[in-house]
Amino acid sequence: MHRILSGRYLPFALSLIAGVALWELAGRNTSAAFMVPFSETMLRLWELAASGALAVQFLDSATLFITGFALALLIGMPFGLLLARLQSLRIALEPYIMVLYATPMVALIPFILSMMGFGFAPKVLVVFLFAIFPILYNTIEGARSIKPELIEVAQSFRSNEWALWREVIVPYTLPFTMTGVRQAVGRGLVGMVAAEFFLSSTGLGQAIMMSSQNFDTSAVFALILVIGLLGVGLMRLGLTIENRFARWRD
Amino acid sequence: MSEHADRLLTLPAAAASASRSRPTPATLRLTAGLAILLLWEIVVRALAPAYVAKPSGVVMAIPHVIVDPVFLNATRITLGAVAQGLAIAIVAGTAIGLLIGRSVVADRMLRHYVNGFYAVPMIVILPLVTLWFGYSDAARLATIVFAALFSIIINVADGARSVPREYLEVANSFRSHRLRMMIEIVLPSSMPYFLAGLRLASGRALIGAVVAEFFAAIGGLGYFILYNSRTYHHNEAFVGVLLLAAFGVGFEIAVNVATRYFLPWYRRDEPAK
Repeated sequence: MHRILSGRYLPFALSLIAGVALWELAGRNTSAAFMVPFSETMLRLWELAASGALAVQFLDSATLFITGFALALLIGMPFGLLLARLQSLRIALEPYIMVLYATPMVALIPFILSMMGFGFAPKVLVVFLFAIFPILYNTIEGARSIKPELIEVAQSFRSNEWALWREVIVPYTLPFTMTGVRQAVGRGLVGMVAAEFFLSSTGLGQAIMMSSQNFDTSAVFALILVIGLLGVGLMRLGLTIENRFARWRD
Repeated sequence: MSEHADRLLTLPAAAASASRSRPTPATLRLTAGLAILLLWEIVVRALAPAYVAKPSGVVMAIPHVIVDPVFLNATRITLGAVAQGLAIAIVAGTAIGLLIGRSVVADRMLRHYVNGFYAVPMIVILPLVTLWFGYSDAARLATIVFAALFSIIINVADGARSVPREYLEVANSFRSHRLRMMIEIVLPSSMPYFLAGLRLASGRALIGAVVAEFFAAIGGLGYFILYNSRTYHHNEAFVGVLLLAAFGVGFEIAVNVATRYFLPWYRRDEPAK
């Protein structure tokens, strides 16, 4: 028994079946407003997908996430690398970036709402704010791991600026940046849903809220499943990217 | 002093003057901080409406906000809920984490669920939680537990897995009881991982509390911020944000200090994930 269960795929399949069975049983034995069985959730998911509503909402959410996340990457990565090169600037800004990294960004949403109102831009700003600080924070961590002697040696061999970046700065900091990118994916997703909940309601966030207000519990479960799987998929992607660059670490 | 000695002294002297011309970290940080505040003040004064929070306004608001009973009560409620939720997550998370870390079967059965739930953006469960618990304190507590639980499980399991084999073999050959081995060997040696998990969990718990208060309009620090910013008291609301930031940073520092103080044997350059 033990040997069978310690294999690779069989236990995974078994645990999946057990989980679904548990869900089904729990759903059948409680009130429909409270919990919905797996089968009903799947049926509702199929309905939502077939009506085309799900695709539209998904696209809305994806546009928001990708815009905010891309901005965080485009600004966060070069700025982080610049901080790795300019030591004084890094030392000066380090504590503030650390504080912003540890601050629950969600607390800024009410300010953004009353200053920028309901539109696409404030929501992008929310995703951006959620995503950029993990990137910066981890890049700085990487910058700290560069031994000053490496730069000194490179400079005493009259290495030019380009070579210094290519041989020292980027290879040493990028693996850390990628850890930040992975964290940023997760936080950005939270930011996306938070923006859709608390700013103008659109996308998957709006769909969940509306279903919840209409006591359409099966749709709530179906949509949470969609966003959950999206989270798992993106986390996987992030881990893959992180591991690719982790080989550069010594 | 001879000329010779003088020449010998020029090197350290030059180095000293070079380091004098380069500002110390504290100076750099202070300058940067002041520059950021100044920039913020100028931009808001020049471009934004009067109600928008600016450093001078926030500083003026601090004295009356921190003695305001509404604010103090909100802080107490939110922190109490976070502490309660963390306590539940710690007990449950450590038990499940030890199980997953030490039992291959449990690992294979539960790992995917734990990793999966960890990756779910916690905020997404709010509509469901309010459906289950109503717009109540219980909804907030459930959100906090959900936010904190999985990072503790994952880290404790990692820690339990990393226990040096020899320790367990020695204990085994002295016919130590399994439960005793868990408590006396596995638990202490996974402490650094547990603390790393707790650091993550406390940050997430704080976020969980705030989003639950926003979503369900339950009284607390998050609601204080929401209410004040809606009534255009941005400076007052920002004092709440500062307090949240202080707690976020405080947790981080507390865990780092605890690791160094209680676990001096733990030396790893890479923090546990």
